[in-house]
Amino acid sequence: MSSTAAVNLHNPAVFQAGIPHEVFAEMRATPGLTWSPEHDGTRGFWSVTRYDDLVTVSRDMSTYSSGVGHIQIYDIDEDALEARASMIDMDPPVHTRLRRIISSAFTPRHVKKYKGAIQARVGACLDELEAAGGGNWVDVVAKPIPIGVICDLMGVPEQDHNYLIGLTDHLVAGTGAEPLEPTAYGNTTELRLLPFNSPAAWAMSQYATELADVRRAAPEDDLITKLIEAEIDGERLATEEFANFFRLMIFAGNETTRSSMAHLALYLEQFPDAFAAAQLDRSLIPALTDEVIRYSSAILYFRRTVTAPTELSGTALDVGDKVVMWYCSANFDEAYFPDPYAFRADRPTAPPHAAFGGGGAHFCLGASLARLEIAELISDVLNRDLSFASIGQPEFVESNFVNGIEHLEVTL
Amino acid sequence: MADETSDGVELVGVQVNEDTCIGAGQCEMLEEDTFYVDDDTVIAGVIGTGMLPRDRAQKVVDTCPSRAITIVEPAAEEEQ
Ligand code: HEM
Ligand code: SF4
Repeated sequence: MSSTAAVNLHNPAVFQAGIPHEVFAEMRATPGLTWSPEHDGTRGFWSVTRYDDLVTVSRDMSTYSSGVGHIQIYDIDEDALEARASMIDMDPPVHTRLRRIISSAFTPRHVKKYKGAIQARVGACLDELEAAGGGNWVDVVAKPIPIGVICDLMGVPEQDHNYLIGLTDHLVAGTGAEPLEPTAYGNTTELRLLPFNSPAAWAMSQYATELADVRRAAPEDDLITKLIEAEIDGERLATEEFANFFRLMIFAGNETTRSSMAHLALYLEQFPDAFAAAQLDRSLIPALTDEVIRYSSAILYFRRTVTAPTELSGTALDVGDKVVMWYCSANFDEAYFPDPYAFRADRPTAPPHAAFGGGGAHFCLGASLARLEIAELISDVLNRDLSFASIGQPEFVESNFVNGIEHLEVTL
Repeated sequence: MADETSDGVELVGVQVNEDTCIGAGQCEMLEEDTFYVDDDTVIAGVIGTGMLPRDRAQKVVDTCPSRAITIVEPAAEEEQ
């Protein structure tokens, strides 16, 4: 039992105006999984669009592997996979050992310690926006907060934050950043071996390696120091492993939260009732925060690869099949989120939305941190009673992987 | 066994499977008097009485991303 997708999900343009909800609603209503045929040399794949199927795939890590094949739709060569691997592209038990090096820094209890620093960053950005009477919400608010927070945690000095913002801008295909020359930043590595095939990934590895040298000489209480001192089975991380870990943290901690914060401005305008409710009853802020995260579904999908013949929702799957978990569909599954397109400050938080993944070992490491950052932004926006005199048309990042906004002009 | 609070709410026990817990701390976020993620092992343990009203226990069970939390039914506990 299966059907073929009505639109070409390989094509980023399908996501140009945001999540194509009608497309996914139809796929959810169709029994079995939906097949997207080969496109431009990229093998076809199965789409998982319903919440319960997504959770099944996400938690069955031995049948649906992150380590075999790529975790994005397009395939890459074995040596390229190897060269760029970080824990997100690995299966337990190796994954587990890597994640444990730093996971204690991201538990809700630890994350609370960063609250003051996050409030200060949020406050400074909103001050700047207010002083200017508005501006590009993405550049002034949504970008600097998450990169600032994750850089602080990692131990990246403040003066380098903008350099890293510039590099991450190049890592998502289709962002408005100017295309780079293959040799940009002095890159000498073959592009196909680099994450996102970008010299910016190489530059980030270089940067990480240099910073690691500085920390080896003078350790600090930060995650870079933790990573270089960690031992797994008596061995330290190799230079490449460390650099890949660093890049994962900067990218994952940055792009995603930025997208949700960018969408937040749109929601303020589109769904004023939800924010008015939270203004009156601040205890709604955690639920409202999760609603922003669900509704924006910053990462649209991750892919898994089938390792043993199996069946899902009546569709037979074979070894090597690509299975794509569309978080942006599961989060609007009528069976789990009644009236899914309503944006509510009081939506129940169980069952949890799938924007941080459907559970299992890869569940978003930064979930508590992201929630805190977004909750603090909402709180401060409410404290200031911030409202927009006008808001421009959002320019979406053209990507079928992230639900980003490039530019969103607001006036106060 | 006192499986009810004074106002008659049914209490149930909860336990964490240490092999599947990924230390995401979602349990601690919801019920910080009952769950505690250890700093070194980054695995959750049950603290305090380990008892919660059934609806709150069910919510933590449903929220745990690795399905590592289970409710210990009072009857099952007595058999042990
Ligand atoms: C709204 C913000 C965010 C969203 C929507 C998001 C989403 C996700 C998703 C969907 C996954 C994959 C889950 C899976 O495969 O089951 C993931 C993994 C991850 N996220 Fe997040 N994330 C966000 C913020 C953050 C932040 C702030 C950090 C900072 C540390 C972070 C770090 C990570 C890491 C390191 C992984 C890989 C975990 C692993 O493989 O074990 N994320 N995130
Ligand atoms: S929520 Fe589940 S996985 Fe996370 S710490 Fe608690 S028991 Fe472990």
